[in-house]
Amino acid sequence: MRVREHREALARRTPILGWLFATFVLVVAAAYGYIQLHEGRYYRELADNNRLRREPIRAPRGEILDRQGYLLAESVPSYTLQLYRSRSADPKASLRFAARVLQRPLPELQQLVDQRTSNSEFQPVLLAENMSLEQVAKFRAVSLEHPEFEVVTRGVRFYRHGPLTAPILGYLGEVSEKELAQPGESYVAGDLVGRRGVERVYDRSLRGRDGEREVVVDSHGRARESFEREPATAGRTLQLTLDLRLQSRAERLLESRAGAIVAMDPRDGAIRALASSPSYDPNIFSQRLQRSEWQMLIDSPLHPLQNRAIQVAQSPGSVFKIVMAAAGLAEHVISPSDQVFCAGSKEFYGSRRRCWKAGGHGWVNLHKALVESCDIYFYELGQKLGIDRIAKYARLFGFGTATGIDLDGELNGNVPDGAWSRRTRGIPWYPGETISVAIGQGPLLTTPLQIAVMMAEVANGGLRVHPHVVGNATSDPPPVESGIDPAILARLRSDLWSVVNDHGTGANARVEGLDIAGKTGTVQVVRQATRIESADLPYDQRDHAWFASFAPAQDPKLVIVVYVEHGGKGSQAAAPLARELYEVYFGQRPGSGQRG
Amino acid sequence: MRSISDSVQGLGSAAEPRAGLRGLAHVRWGLAVAGLLLALVGLVTIHSASSELSGDYTARQAIWLGVAVLCGAIAFLFDDRFLVRLGPILYGLSLALLLMVLVIGNVAGGARSWFELGPVRFQPSEFAKLATVLLLARYLGGVHQEYLNLRQLTLTGLIVLAPMSLVVLERDLGGAAMFVPMALGMVLVAGVRWRVLVVTVLLAAVVGGLAWNFFLLDYQRQRVLTFISPSSDPLGAGYQLRQSKIAVGSGGLEGRGYMQGTQSQLRFLPARHTDFVFAVLAEEWGFSGVLVVLALYAWFGLSGVGIAERARDRAGILLVVGLLSGIAFHVLYNTAMVVGLVPITGIPLPFISYGGSFLLASFVATGIMLGVDFRRHVNR
Repeated sequence: MRVREHREALARRTPILGWLFATFVLVVAAAYGYIQLHEGRYYRELADNNRLRREPIRAPRGEILDRQGYLLAESVPSYTLQLYRSRSADPKASLRFAARVLQRPLPELQQLVDQRTSNSEFQPVLLAENMSLEQVAKFRAVSLEHPEFEVVTRGVRFYRHGPLTAPILGYLGEVSEKELAQPGESYVAGDLVGRRGVERVYDRSLRGRDGEREVVVDSHGRARESFEREPATAGRTLQLTLDLRLQSRAERLLESRAGAIVAMDPRDGAIRALASSPSYDPNIFSQRLQRSEWQMLIDSPLHPLQNRAIQVAQSPGSVFKIVMAAAGLAEHVISPSDQVFCAGSKEFYGSRRRCWKAGGHGWVNLHKALVESCDIYFYELGQKLGIDRIAKYARLFGFGTATGIDLDGELNGNVPDGAWSRRTRGIPWYPGETISVAIGQGPLLTTPLQIAVMMAEVANGGLRVHPHVVGNATSDPPPVESGIDPAILARLRSDLWSVVNDHGTGANARVEGLDIAGKTGTVQVVRQATRIESADLPYDQRDHAWFASFAPAQDPKLVIVVYVEHGGKGSQAAAPLARELYEVYFGQRPGSGQRG
Repeated sequence: MRSISDSVQGLGSAAEPRAGLRGLAHVRWGLAVAGLLLALVGLVTIHSASSELSGDYTARQAIWLGVAVLCGAIAFLFDDRFLVRLGPILYGLSLALLLMVLVIGNVAGGARSWFELGPVRFQPSEFAKLATVLLLARYLGGVHQEYLNLRQLTLTGLIVLAPMSLVVLERDLGGAAMFVPMALGMVLVAGVRWRVLVVTVLLAAVVGGLAWNFFLLDYQRQRVLTFISPSSDPLGAGYQLRQSKIAVGSGGLEGRGYMQGTQSQLRFLPARHTDFVFAVLAEEWGFSGVLVVLALYAWFGLSGVGIAERARDRAGILLVVGLLSGIAFHVLYNTAMVVGLVPITGIPLPFISYGGSFLLASFVATGIMLGVDFRRHVNR
């Protein structure tokens, strides 16, 4: 029966299934062995990537102080609202809720989201900054129903004195794609970096170093726990050479006009004030959301973002006569007692040139020519020197190259000579132009800061200083000997004292009890056929006013250069501003002590 | 041949010298021990895998385990010959149930394959598999030839195809596919000539391949795939498989530690207490844990083969082979699927995956197999 049933054949075949099963179990075991043992490290990494998110711990940006320790820029905590679209069940409802709490129109928020739609769903969208504690509480209260919102505390730059210190401090801006791609920089998208001024030049030390934190997240991206891997290193505190009181006063003096003021210690180049007007409020750049104000600044016809102390190259006007005088004496083409007759005008190279004083100055020697700023005297001196020697001395006083101040965007200005004319214009120098350059007009261009360096050289007896806003005696290059005879400079100091104190053009800068030395300058914007008072001209045709000075005349501790764009005469528009600043700095007002 | 009524109560048949209580000592209990150990591993793993889920999955599975063991014990009491004779009736009943569930069943996971009976959910396809194995055991057991001929093979195919196509219509591809290895195992053991086997396999491959590659467009193929297996990749882009491989691979040799698997505890791995429970086990217990579990399955499988070998008749052998093939294929397919060796489809891991019906079916199968072993000396 068993044979007929063929049971044995079946029993014989059954073990084949057993072997088959055993073989496949071994195959599966081998597959697990391969994945777990051979590729285990790789998958462990993937698992860690899944659950561990590395987040930067933001290093607080360093504070910026004035020379006495007054706080100029600081980082203040600000509550920002971030939207994670990937976690939102109903994006429309999320935005409606946010709009209600923030009391902002829904389309505005929608726009912020739309601007980012090209980005990943997992990247947060910044919806609000500087939220009130009440708003923060409202978002925190609904964190379970609305996991898509996250309130993040972030340091926001705050400039206590806003526009008053903006020309020096600069501002911050969001890091660009290009900077993110730069090797060696540890930028993260959304970082704010210094865009101008001290913030830009000293960005690296102000920024400090971000730390890193590992956050364990679940599959919804929600943080479960976090631990610090590397602490953040706070940014360095920067102490400037700036004198806040002087800086504020300088900016206020320039209010409602365009111009610049530089105040500098002539002994070491420490900048005490560097004002530019119109200024702007750098605090608006600390907000990432208000682009309209930023556009307004760019579009403004007076260019508030331009730092006129270093980014305007202007004819120095009669201020340049100081250089001319030094050149004439050093080259022995004049002696102080040589006299020139000023009849109000004189013909040079076939063209009649006027002195600013219609009736003329009569007989003038060097002293009188400087004190009364006689043009005819310097026309003749220019003719004697020739453009190349003028250019040589202009360069010895630091013109034609940037001073190297630790601020960005400084201009070189221009010192013209024969070679320059052939190189840039392709024509030989026209001698008639020398006459213009002799009184600081024509293609000769200087920045207010260069004028300050020049004045410092006169004041300190021939040392070219390196202007700087951050004091660091060890790393600053020492002042350079310009090689101009100190005796000549001493003579000029006394002449310039007379400009202010002895019925000269700088009389408006005179301060009782303080020996101020200086020189006015008035730059004609359009060649005038007649001598019309500047105030009667349209604004953009009015003269530019200069006043370059230092004090005390015999032991100079401060150089002040005032430049007022379309301000009119230097004696009237610029010199009085310098006086007020000297009063502030040297404490001539009651209640303030002697400084310097 | 004894009458059926005598054989039903084999346990009480004291007239048989080697049956009865003394016969219990000769049963391959290893099969039951392996199954129980695996079920305990399952409870422990489900506890970890479901820790982030609301609802007490471990307790529910523990209750199911109790019910399943009880049902397995009851199944043990039935004489296998009696069960085989019931085959046609049970088969017909299962077809009726499958038709019913298509019309009035509940949808779960995209498949209409459940009945809600109060608190209990009943899946007729599990029952249909058992019934089909019983019917095939009866039919093929009655073929007293060394090899099956073409007519017998065709009829076998039809017997399998009827419930299988109904399960496909329920959109339960995994469940439907399980008919194939069970039938295949039985046919192989029942005997097929190599050339018939080769020709059949080739023919199926060629026809299937041609149809798939030349008569269907891409979107149609996709449609077919989504039709027969709607929940295979709900999150798209291979997310499930990727997370599963990360879980397995990151386990390394020693594992991340119990309840410490980041893939499962942080909810990266979907279906972690059901079809992908083995990934959780592999993550938390590592390759060593995997080897232990695979060894338990090997023990289970080889015990089953041993039982089949010494069964008293063709039908008994085929019955055990059918049940065993089904469970073995589940084990191989699920473990291979978790690491991406085969496409993902809803096939649970026997004894370990969360789910009452399947646990019950597995223990009933185990009970029947042990019953076959217990009665091998009766009425030879």
